[in-house]
Amino acid sequence: MYRLALNMLFGDRAKLAMLLCGLAFSALLMAQQSSVFFGIMSWTYTPMVNIRAQVWVSDPMVEQVNDAKPLRDTDLGRVRSVDGVAWAAPLHTSFVQARMQDGNFKLITLVGIDADTFAGAPAVLTQGRIEDLRLPDTVIVDEWGAALMGRMGVGPDGKPKNTPLKVGDTFEINDIQARIVGICKVKRAFTGGPFVYTTYDRAKGYTLGARRTLSFMLVEPQKGVTPAELCDRIERATGLKAWTSDTVIWSWGERSLARNTFWWFWTNTGIPFSFGTAVLLGLFVGIAISGQTFYSFVLENLKYFAAIKAMGAGMGVIARMLFVQAFTAGLIGFGLGAGMAQAIGRVMIEKGMPPFVMFPQILWATFALVLGISFVSAVIGIIKVSRVDAASVFRG
Amino acid sequence: MSHQAHTVAVRATGVDMFFGTPENRVVALKQADFEARRGELIMLVGPSGCGKTTLLSVIAGTLTPQAGTVEVFGQRLDGLGQEALTTFRRQNLGFVFQSFNLIPTLTVVENVMVPLLIQGRPFDEAHARALAILDKVGLKGREEGRPNALSGGQQQRVAIARALVHEPPLLICDEPTSALDKDTGAQIMQMVRDLSRSPERCVVVVTHDHRIFRFADRIAEMEDGRISRVVDDPKLLDTTHL
Repeated sequence: MYRLALNMLFGDRAKLAMLLCGLAFSALLMAQQSSVFFGIMSWTYTPMVNIRAQVWVSDPMVEQVNDAKPLRDTDLGRVRSVDGVAWAAPLHTSFVQARMQDGNFKLITLVGIDADTFAGAPAVLTQGRIEDLRLPDTVIVDEWGAALMGRMGVGPDGKPKNTPLKVGDTFEINDIQARIVGICKVKRAFTGGPFVYTTYDRAKGYTLGARRTLSFMLVEPQKGVTPAELCDRIERATGLKAWTSDTVIWSWGERSLARNTFWWFWTNTGIPFSFGTAVLLGLFVGIAISGQTFYSFVLENLKYFAAIKAMGAGMGVIARMLFVQAFTAGLIGFGLGAGMAQAIGRVMIEKGMPPFVMFPQILWATFALVLGISFVSAVIGIIKVSRVDAASVFRG
Repeated sequence: MSHQAHTVAVRATGVDMFFGTPENRVVALKQADFEARRGELIMLVGPSGCGKTTLLSVIAGTLTPQAGTVEVFGQRLDGLGQEALTTFRRQNLGFVFQSFNLIPTLTVVENVMVPLLIQGRPFDEAHARALAILDKVGLKGREEGRPNALSGGQQQRVAIARALVHEPPLLICDEPTSALDKDTGAQIMQMVRDLSRSPERCVVVVTHDHRIFRFADRIAEMEDGRISRVVDDPKLLDTTHL
């Protein structure tokens, strides 16, 4: 009977198209909005991705990576003395204003790294060399920031043209010159500002007036010591807070700074509500369109279902037929919607805006919700058919 | 067991059936008695609202009477639950409906396969048997077409094929010729009669169409919710009120 149930479904092409449109649109909206949401949320812990270290140490009151509470420089020595620490390097992060040559100001994320080890340096430089950071007044700017801070002019075609900053260009941070010696590739941040790398000591100079400039310490465990184990030892020995650099936000480990950052933004901003509303909208639209279309499909076939009942098919068989039809439509609708979301995501990733991260969990959740929509649609149909009297087939 | 018991296919005795609330009751059958024999084609006739369709539904096990007994091929239906009635219909009944009730999104052969698939027969077996019976009703070559592409007569042939494909002992026909012209109606009734000629089969036809009375072995006339008389010769019936 299931084969015939599918033939009934595919035989009514107009209804099927409408049903698939509803389910695909719903799947697209849920998957795409969730992916953009997680993309934006993944930006919140960008420093963890750009500044790579196995263990991060911070002030005990720090809740997330963008909220650095400065430490004493002497804390570095205390951490280095903890058993199991291979090395520890200072890190400065702050938001400061940079003054461009045309007089414009841009908010930047200033990152000061250890000049000896370059621990926390960007992984990919598209221009320049990291060692040049040891030269006076030098910085490395990220690719996107170089474009953002670039010079606006007029192109040969008369249209406005942006010329990105390049190696050799300069700007000012707190009236101190910053000369670009490298362009790097890093992940963009939630705060939107470009990443400007310099040495830790020079960062102190750029942030005049700040009494403490040590934001975090980047720590490497010795061989045989796990990051979590080292975190315990550091906390016990120093009273500071130590974090792992694990960026799997689905894990429940309290030690992950990325995870804590993610959930901090989740609970302290309206972003989840905003995107959650869009996802719910997708769900409701799916239920409304698909439920309605499937119901109308059932209504149109009601007399045939009544005839099948009269011929001796129990409600169990008919219910399974309707489930097969609804779930098949759900499966195809999900495939179409998720495929479209992937295609849109590909374009977004190429353009870099808006951020797009499609975790497998998003696809699974969308799949489950689409099947939920199909289930609701099928149940509505089953209720309708169950109320049809088999004797009604004799009433013309 | 008496000889009569062996020959009876359907027996309904003292059947009461009413609809609506006790205050607003509509009586459809009132102490109705009906009997159909094995190997015969019996027609139920009477004016609209006399209870023909209700009696047919009771015999088919799609309605349970408030009083009386119903026996079909030795099986009492009046005490059966819904599940048992469903199983009974699946094994013993074939239906031909007034408006054919062929599923338009399925092919002709798929429509005919439905009763076999409901019985749980394998798809290939159902397909082969459906093709064979379609050949019998003269629709070879039209198996893969849609019912809507067929004429009314052809559609009713498909419905007959569907009703008989699982070889049910009791064939229930509800106004089988009402949507057909005279000649096509006659062909269809001839076919029903030929295909149902078996000592193990009984055909009950509800109709208003006096043009097909000649195909009946007996005709039971209904009036006010009961059988008023049963005749062997249609000429004995006054058809002016039908």
